[in-house]
Amino acid sequence: MSESWRSDSVYRDGSINWGRLALYAIMIFVAIIWGAPFVWMFVTSIKPDNEVFRYPPTWWPDEPTLMFYTRLFDSFPMMAWFRNSLIVATITTALTLVTNILAAYPLARMRFRGRNILLLIILSTFLLPGEILLVPLFLGMIKFKLANTYFSIAVPASANAFGVFLMTQFFLTIPVELEEAGRLDGCSRLGLLWRIFIPLSKPVIATVAIFTFVRSWNDFFWPLIISNTDATRTVPVGLAVFVGRGLSMRFGVIMASAAAATIPAVIFFLLLQRYFVRGISTTGLHG
Amino acid sequence: MGGMTKRKTSRWNSVKNDLTAYGFMAPYLLLFVVFLLLPAAVGVYASFTKWGIVGQPKWIGLKNYNKLFNSELFLDSLGNTLYFVILAAIPLIVLGFLLALLVHQNLRGRNIARAIVFLPHVVSVAAVGIIFQWILERSSGLLNYYLGELGVREPINWLGEPESAMPAIAITTIWWTVNGNMIIYLAGLQDIPADLYEAARIDGAGRWQEVRYVTIPMLLPVNAFVIPLTVIACWRVFGQVFVMTRGGPQGATFTVAQFIYETAFTDFNMGLASAAGVILMVITLGFTVIQLRAMKVI
Repeated sequence: MSESWRSDSVYRDGSINWGRLALYAIMIFVAIIWGAPFVWMFVTSIKPDNEVFRYPPTWWPDEPTLMFYTRLFDSFPMMAWFRNSLIVATITTALTLVTNILAAYPLARMRFRGRNILLLIILSTFLLPGEILLVPLFLGMIKFKLANTYFSIAVPASANAFGVFLMTQFFLTIPVELEEAGRLDGCSRLGLLWRIFIPLSKPVIATVAIFTFVRSWNDFFWPLIISNTDATRTVPVGLAVFVGRGLSMRFGVIMASAAAATIPAVIFFLLLQRYFVRGISTTGLHG
Repeated sequence: MGGMTKRKTSRWNSVKNDLTAYGFMAPYLLLFVVFLLLPAAVGVYASFTKWGIVGQPKWIGLKNYNKLFNSELFLDSLGNTLYFVILAAIPLIVLGFLLALLVHQNLRGRNIARAIVFLPHVVSVAAVGIIFQWILERSSGLLNYYLGELGVREPINWLGEPESAMPAIAITTIWWTVNGNMIIYLAGLQDIPADLYEAARIDGAGRWQEVRYVTIPMLLPVNAFVIPLTVIACWRVFGQVFVMTRGGPQGATFTVAQFIYETAFTDFNMGLASAAGVILMVITLGFTVIQLRAMKVI
């Protein structure tokens, strides 16, 4: 990386820097490939019936319409699915945050019997394919008459080890002196956690919250199995099981459903974007 | 006398310390044991039983495994999934790294590029599958149109032909999930100290030599994380298949997870489905050990 590489300009010493220009071209190509499906989904969803299958494809309708959205919300209980997704994701996220923050503190900051083996067991579940859990969880939920409840969809997802790992890593980076100062002031361990660790850990808490929320919002396999009424069915399951099925040529409605499911997530992401990247970088997977 | 009291106090302190630690962890451990460890153990047990949706499990030893290894459907699902792992995992890792390298460069607009590539991360597999069904559609799909512009004469029936269905699902998967690897590699790239590059430059390294001798070795811990997890995720492929092809055409995209789903929740043969789950677990663990060995991490 000579000095000129530090600059973002395509000119070097007055002439065109072809390598740099190629990087810009690749970057634009990448952005188009990853952005186009979203645009295409949205454009299809606002096209009237006679324009959807127009060939060659057009990137803007002659007569934009929200007809498919009306039809979507009239034919499917989209609002109920949205409400269910929101409730499930909120329960999972809240439960994950509270239990993970509490668990990460002793793992990062206390010496106690069984710590290392416990950490090893928790981390090794990263490698466990969740399919092995499906049958026992399903039968357990049936047995305790919990199928088709928010509990059955939301709670198993909060046993995930990812958040514990990230928070433990982050807590390790908080200076011991701060903790000792707090102890001298007579703070209990819970007080230390509340007054020192949590305020200093906002970025990683935000990261875990956002990732958990998004994962729960989009979770598919488990909700598909454990929920089969509109009282608890979530958006992805509703889309896959109803909207996307038996309507094979009605791509207008289908794209409207995909857009309706995607737009809230995209807005959510754009608002909180910096936490996604910063969270991962600051928690340091390098250990 | 005084010494004894002291020892007692310190032992009590250490017990108290342990109790405090476990007290903090109790809520998480409860979830962890009830919804992860216990089900995993029951899953392994169930694989040795005949178990329907009601009634008690009946121990039948290795019969489920015997049945699976004689079942053409299951063996095909293993083969299909392995094919998917090869088609998807390698690009997910290599492209994830290359994209990270790209958006790590000092380019104007790189934050926008990062955000666009990351965007599919927040989209559910149901929506992704639906969108790509439309893009991959044979007669008016976007992909065939642009391939036609590039000179591909015959439109490809992506999801309708056994040869092209799995590649189509791999393409969808790459678009959907390569961003996770990109972000992790990017974090790894940002952690490499600048003086290492400087030292390489003093030794006369060119840009690709920098990548070869500084970047890639320094990313070993990241690779030890990304590569096994990507391969595991690929072995577990389910949602894309469920939404886009349901295992078809002619069973060409019928994967292990699909087999488990249908065996357990359509046929209600819980024992057989659990045995398939155990085999999936053994395969992914085996792959992980081989990869970590190859990287000399363990």
